[in-house]
Amino acid sequence: MKMHAKNRNVAIIGIGQTSFSSHKEDQNQVEMVQEAVINALADAGLKIGDIDCIVHGNMELFEMQFAPDLWHSLGTGAYGKDEYRITTGGTTGATLVCAADNLVASGLYGTVLAIGMEKLQEGNTTGGITNMADPLWFRNLQTGALTGTTAQEMIDEFGEERAKRAAMRYRIMMDKHAMLNPRAHRRFGLEYSQMEDLMANSPPLVGELRLIHMCSQSDGACAMIFTSEEKVKQGTKNPPVWIRDHIQVHREETIPNLFGFNKPEMTHHCAARTLFARNGIQDPVAYFDVFEMYDPSAWWAVDWLREFFLLTGDEHLRMLEAGDFDLDGTIPINPSGGVIASNPIGATAMLRPAEAALQIRGDAGGHQIKKEVRHALASGFGGTFWTVLMILEKELNWQEVNHD
Amino acid sequence: MATKRVAICAVAQHKNDSDLWHKRFQGMLLDVLEELQAQTGFTFDEETGVNTIVSCSDDFFDARTISDNGVADVLGAQYRGEEKMAQEGLNAVGYAQAVILSGYADLVLVMGHCKESQSESRRIIANMGFDPFYGRAVGLDNLNAAALQARAYMKKAGLTEEHLAGIVVRARQFAARNPYANAREIVEAGKVIASPQLCDPIRQLHAYPVSDGAVGMLLASEERAAEFTDRPVWIAGFANCMDSYFLGDRDLTANFALKQAAGRAYRKAGIADPRKEIDLVEVMDAYAYQQPLWIEGLGLCGDGEGARFLDQGGQEKYRVNLSGGMLAGNPVIIAGLYRAAEAALQLKGEAGERQVPDLHRAVAHSTTGAAGQFHSVLILER
Amino acid sequence: MTEYFGTTVADIFATMPKRFKPEEAKEVDIAIGYEATGEGGGKWKATIKHGTLKVETVDGDLTGCKTTIHTDAETFVGVTLGKIGALDALSSQKLRVAGDPKFLMLLLPKIFTPYAAPEKKPVAVTARDIITTIAERFRPEKAEGVAMTIGYDLTGEGGGRWTIVIRDGKCAVRGGLADPLTVKMTMEAKTYTGMMVGTIEAVTAFTSGMVKIEGDMAAAGATAKFFRKYVVPGATEAEELISLRVTNAIEQRFATGPVMGRWFAGLREKKFLANRCPKCGRTQIPPREICAWCRVRVHEFVEVGPKGVVTHFDIVYFASPDPLTGAVRDTPYATAYVVFDGSTEREAVTMDLKKEDIPRLKEGARVRPVWAEVTTGSYRDLIGVALDEQEESL
Repeated sequence: MKMHAKNRNVAIIGIGQTSFSSHKEDQNQVEMVQEAVINALADAGLKIGDIDCIVHGNMELFEMQFAPDLWHSLGTGAYGKDEYRITTGGTTGATLVCAADNLVASGLYGTVLAIGMEKLQEGNTTGGITNMADPLWFRNLQTGALTGTTAQEMIDEFGEERAKRAAMRYRIMMDKHAMLNPRAHRRFGLEYSQMEDLMANSPPLVGELRLIHMCSQSDGACAMIFTSEEKVKQGTKNPPVWIRDHIQVHREETIPNLFGFNKPEMTHHCAARTLFARNGIQDPVAYFDVFEMYDPSAWWAVDWLREFFLLTGDEHLRMLEAGDFDLDGTIPINPSGGVIASNPIGATAMLRPAEAALQIRGDAGGHQIKKEVRHALASGFGGTFWTVLMILEKELNWQEVNHD
Repeated sequence: MATKRVAICAVAQHKNDSDLWHKRFQGMLLDVLEELQAQTGFTFDEETGVNTIVSCSDDFFDARTISDNGVADVLGAQYRGEEKMAQEGLNAVGYAQAVILSGYADLVLVMGHCKESQSESRRIIANMGFDPFYGRAVGLDNLNAAALQARAYMKKAGLTEEHLAGIVVRARQFAARNPYANAREIVEAGKVIASPQLCDPIRQLHAYPVSDGAVGMLLASEERAAEFTDRPVWIAGFANCMDSYFLGDRDLTANFALKQAAGRAYRKAGIADPRKEIDLVEVMDAYAYQQPLWIEGLGLCGDGEGARFLDQGGQEKYRVNLSGGMLAGNPVIIAGLYRAAEAALQLKGEAGERQVPDLHRAVAHSTTGAAGQFHSVLILER
Repeated sequence: MTEYFGTTVADIFATMPKRFKPEEAKEVDIAIGYEATGEGGGKWKATIKHGTLKVETVDGDLTGCKTTIHTDAETFVGVTLGKIGALDALSSQKLRVAGDPKFLMLLLPKIFTPYAAPEKKPVAVTARDIITTIAERFRPEKAEGVAMTIGYDLTGEGGGRWTIVIRDGKCAVRGGLADPLTVKMTMEAKTYTGMMVGTIEAVTAFTSGMVKIEGDMAAAGATAKFFRKYVVPGATEAEELISLRVTNAIEQRFATGPVMGRWFAGLREKKFLANRCPKCGRTQIPPREICAWCRVRVHEFVEVGPKGVVTHFDIVYFASPDPLTGAVRDTPYATAYVVFDGSTEREAVTMDLKKEDIPRLKEGARVRPVWAEVTTGSYRDLIGVALDEQEESL
């Protein structure tokens, strides 16, 4: 696909997160949003007056608040400013990053703040998820949001023992990363020695998808600040993290036709091959120093590593088994602990580029990768298997690939 | 090389209706998509076609979590990028402009839909836009918040029952010439003045009817516009602005947010004096009093001069709401798209019976939130 | 007994008989074993039979229990009180259930009223106790440039007279009332302690005349900000949070449009009406207005099935509760992905499988639809699918 040069280069210069937990009862929605915004401003060394535009997103049927950005303006600081509200389900947080990138790159705005939030405890999460389905047909069939089809496919392809070990190894690895991230919601202190026990005893939800494999449901918010190359040159508190490129790949609402005979290409794979091709990245495993991947479950995570890295056969399992995805491996995955550890849905997909940016800055704290991080990949997932994928860079020096 | 200007190449409107019971959203949007493609011939080809869609819909009105999910196929979003501008249609146009100016795309499809008739009450939905502890509990919704504003504004501007009736009568006259409008019956001033109070001082006939609809637009970079239209309408400027949330913190007649948004939009469009440079205006008048109020906010007359504006023929001079406006019935979240559609059609010379000559620049306005907490302003030019 | 979260494991079991709701347990016949390890733990067995409950401690092994809960004492108390999430405890294996945990999670709240930790006796606090802490609660940064003398004349039992002197960033408390005073506040000692402890609203006390003020009114109002809040020694954190519970329901009238309308009309005839894309030929089931890939309108309907083949299936062990009623489906249930005969190969649709067929369900199995007795053109017409088991012909 032909890629046009961006009008302006855009950098992430501020990141703010709240803590993530299942019961943030000591704050209302506005206060929670404000906490993330204040943290982001402090991180960037800016004041609210330095922001030209706010971009807001969440999934409003989870809090049952219509047009929540209007009330939340008390916490976002949008008073007197331009504001947009963009929502795309689970991918919202990542879409907000793309939107902020678009808005700054357009030249219409100088500095944009994006805020993603969710307070699942204030609503009925099951109700919210059930309402995703078409009201005429699927909503009445209670097919639920959980499926074990991917686990079964992997068992069919690689054998039960190997597949189950891979999913569990990934799960424990995510928990080990979460244990290093004080902001993570769920931190169990799991050990690899528990693998057999968990594989056998964690209560099954659907097929081989067990409780231990599933992501959490969290309350929390994340805010990020974006600005233009011009402003970065004037000086910023933190080293800038550049957004090189982003892509969003949606698809129709029908899910069962992903599990018929002869599956179509997954959006993850489509996003990756398109993004890498137009950026001249031939070997993503070698190129990237970290991948913050949106992993709703351990089974999907392992499967999608093959999709995102454009691998074939059991390459991804061999890499997992060899420790290539560990914190000190060739291509660390989710040093933050990922979605399995913290999942404030409206913010979750923003946390992926946020955490990736922290890695590039060297600011991730306990879960910082020791080797230098120069090239980062971050993904968002949501809707009916939609993907958002973006590339972040430490330096403004990538080669433009000219297809013309 | 990124573009400097963005054009609206084509617009397609679904007729507004009080109850489109025989269609679901997917059907409404497909009708709009086919109309746009017939006008322009655009495709979704990976190299030459639309790869980015900006949609507009709302989870509450659709009773659907991720309301754009159900219509992804008719939006053409299969293996393409799509972003949903939640609940504010004119923002979708402003944002689509940004996407093209950013260099990420040179074509963007904008598609919005909403059925106010699907849920038992649009007022319950609006009530749920207030904070759960106070605003909601007290029973605020868009209508009674607007009534508070109406009362204050009528006093400030000297707006009378006769003025309000005149606005409605005129709206219906223009709606009658607009095949896409909902409420097209001619109505007499006496009937408006006698219509029952909905929420004092807003009478039944002062309020826009419950409406269902959909709108689509194709936007293109300057370099590509000619592929799709001979008569591109250029986006000269767009801006929006958020006011404070608590009604008590605001002067409901001062138009703080609208003036900010308009000011920024005019600056971007290089407009020094809107009164001299604007030829046509489409304001989002959900209730009759809002027409002159938003006209003040756009700077087309002074503060508190709204009634005088009407008395001195301001509506004719500035070609206000030749579509019939929102008073003729649009679903609230995409009423801004309908405003932009009319403005674009007028500039293109495709406004049929409503067409007026000598148009160079038009303003389309949209608002959301209680008593206009948030406003968007789009400046289009030929 | 070792305490966790303000109570003991033993107290939870001791209160079980009192919290038991026999009218909810008439159909119940079960023995539940509990093992809480660690300090303050132990083993218990709760036997519920036809509306009666027996709770006993167990010394040896827990036998004869249909379901047993294994955890440590702290987690047991925490989960019971809601301080630790049950799902989190299950996920991390701190809480393990031999048997069906979901069944217990539904049964226990039904037959027992929730356990609440015993209320702590309020600590008796006197006015003197509070006033002696004034100097240490002083916040000099809030009193910059302030010079005032505040007199407290507390009457009744536990009363007395004191003067607080604030000057040059320091605060001192003296017995008796100094002269002159910037402001003097007169009230009953119990009013003072009530306001400081939080059982009496200060504003109410002032406006209702329980407090008499002489001198500088503004100074009286300002005093609160010079001092940190008084905390009763040994008190647990005050629960200030208020919860509003509201169920929001907005009635909807969904349109089918002609395409889904045709699908439902087909169901009424016990037919599956997919539609076929004129460009790529894919059959969509249920039918859609457009083919997402080709982006062209789909006009042609085609009947598929009635039988089909299972490509994948989900055995669901954990059913999400209905958001409005809380009802939960019987588990396990199976969702089959079915490609109906005549459909294009990718277009599977999910269907419920007849419960009795679950043990024999395999990928590649053939299924047939199970229709309701009376079909009306609604989603209820199709109950699901069942295995279409035929004799193999030789």
